Amino acid sequence: MSKRAPALQYRLEGQRLTIWNRLERVETPELYQLLEQRLKQKTEIDLSGVTSMDSSAVACLIRAWRLCREQGGDLHLEAISPEAKRSLGMFRLAPPAPAQPQKPGVLEQLGQVLFAAKDYTVEMLQLAADTTFAMASALWHRSLRISHIAEQGVYMGTQALGIVMLINFILGLTLTLLSAAQLQQFGASIYVADLTAIAMVREMGPLMTAVLIAGRSGSSIAAEIATMKVSEELDALTVMGLDPIDYLALPRLIALCCAMPMLVLFADVAGIIGGLGIGVTYLDIPPVAYLKETYDALSASGLCSGLFKSIVYGWGIGLIGLFYGFRVHGGAGEVGRVTTASVVASIFFIVIVGCLFSILFYMIL
Amino acid sequence: MNVNDARILLNVHQLVARYGDRTILNGVDLQVRAGEVRVILGGSGCGKSTLLRHCIGLNDPAGGEVEILGQRLDRLDVKDRNALLERIGVLFQNGALLGSLPIGQNVALPLVEHTTLPEEVIHEMVRLKLAAVEMTHAEYLLPSELSGGMRKRAALARAIALDPELLFCDEPSAGLDPLTSAELDALILRLRDRFGMGIVVVTHELSSIETIADKVIFLSQGKVLADGTLNEVKKTDHPEIQAFFSRRAAGEMRGEKSALEVLT
Repeated sequence: MSKRAPALQYRLEGQRLTIWNRLERVETPELYQLLEQRLKQKTEIDLSGVTSMDSSAVACLIRAWRLCREQGGDLHLEAISPEAKRSLGMFRLAPPAPAQPQKPGVLEQLGQVLFAAKDYTVEMLQLAADTTFAMASALWHRSLRISHIAEQGVYMGTQALGIVMLINFILGLTLTLLSAAQLQQFGASIYVADLTAIAMVREMGPLMTAVLIAGRSGSSIAAEIATMKVSEELDALTVMGLDPIDYLALPRLIALCCAMPMLVLFADVAGIIGGLGIGVTYLDIPPVAYLKETYDALSASGLCSGLFKSIVYGWGIGLIGLFYGFRVHGGAGEVGRVTTASVVASIFFIVIVGCLFSILFYMIL
Repeated sequence: MNVNDARILLNVHQLVARYGDRTILNGVDLQVRAGEVRVILGGSGCGKSTLLRHCIGLNDPAGGEVEILGQRLDRLDVKDRNALLERIGVLFQNGALLGSLPIGQNVALPLVEHTTLPEEVIHEMVRLKLAAVEMTHAEYLLPSELSGGMRKRAALARAIALDPELLFCDEPSAGLDPLTSAELDALILRLRDRFGMGIVVVTHELSSIETIADKVIFLSQGKVLADGTLNEVKKTDHPEIQAFFSRRAAGEMRGEKSALEVLT
């Protein structure tokens, strides 16, 4: 539809306002301006010549009528064309709407955030407790869903192996290149092997793998559970007498906790191979010497701390994914939001926990 | 046997339901007997779905009691609760079939989880149930590969997998074309006649109500406005009920004025 130039066809004689031709959303603003100036006066409106009228005109007339009543004027319609009559008859005056909620002030918002944080914490702890209890109970009754766990393990572990190894190979490569440039200045090139090995096994391997798995499996857990909740599948499970924690949460959590250390082992190896590549080609260190140096640098405690950390990462990622999935409210649009939120929260968790663990390990050892 | 002598399967007494500060249901009574189709009626947001959720134990009552098959769900421990839940079936609004499992496995799920039947017997049972809803061809298809009506039929097969005594249906005809909806209605009646189930149906589809309802309960703003057979309810002299059955706008019945009346 091409835009018409606003041209309200009207004539104002004393208190009588005659309008003809169209009265639609193009003309309404002019009509409203006109009526706004006459709120304290009596106005009779003649609509007998109106050929078409839409809801904007109805709203405008009702609004003006309300304002007139408040300010002591009087507005009413005198003659009405059939077209206008139809439009006016189509709408009912809405009953008084509930007051629009006021925007909360700064303090109130702060309070809301704190209360939300409290709720989050409580719910999170509850979920952690529920899953732990469910796990203990399943172990006790020997009713772990092995096939479910295996299925999830294949997806979360085996299928992620390629990308995890590739990323960590590149990471090892970069790390070695970076440290080689510094260590060469002291003629201590051979120590790149130590540096890469220790960094990969203790920190970078678990960290990088966890970030990757948070984006890959954590998000998919959140999205899957959230979708199931939105489509009432969780309710269906519950009324079939199947506990969603037991049926859905536990297999995913256990699979993730098992898959993480295994992935990290591969990640460590990939990182060290990446380092070896740079050591051999760029620094001209003989492969055997590099590997010997690596072997000497590695310690059982370092390896164990990395693997232990990875299990905690896996547990955290799984729990956060489940938490966001289970707490989704509303429609399908929310699914995307909680998925994103779960990844951000997971990575936050990984970095914080990684830092705490490093402090702890270096203070003990 | 007269329907009124049949066993009471569901007994809701003075149920109060709240979400936060909002009271959704305020003293609702409902009884369902074996072999009858009980329809819960009412406009949008009157608490129909909330009542259903309380009946099947998804929400716990804030007051009053819900008794299913003589037992109170909120008083049972997990084991007894699950045992009781095995005796009821629920058809959710959109079917709520597990998206990751084919139809056959969806129907088999309650059987696999709650019985020790041999695999072959379960498979045969699944076929029986699928045949009952005329869905045998879909056994190996995923829910996403089915149309809305087929999904609901499959979900009905899952709901009756364990031969429940009491079946709940949430808006069975919502979003279906009249023909599919009529087929589903016929299916519900067949279940009632063949298995003597008590069936609770939440709906606002007038044509569907006429076909299936043995008894009707009309909810409005968390209260029961009328309770009885369809004809009794229809005769109730209440503007909202009259508006519902004559398909007139509620605003008109409340006597709200049109813009025309106000401005002239």
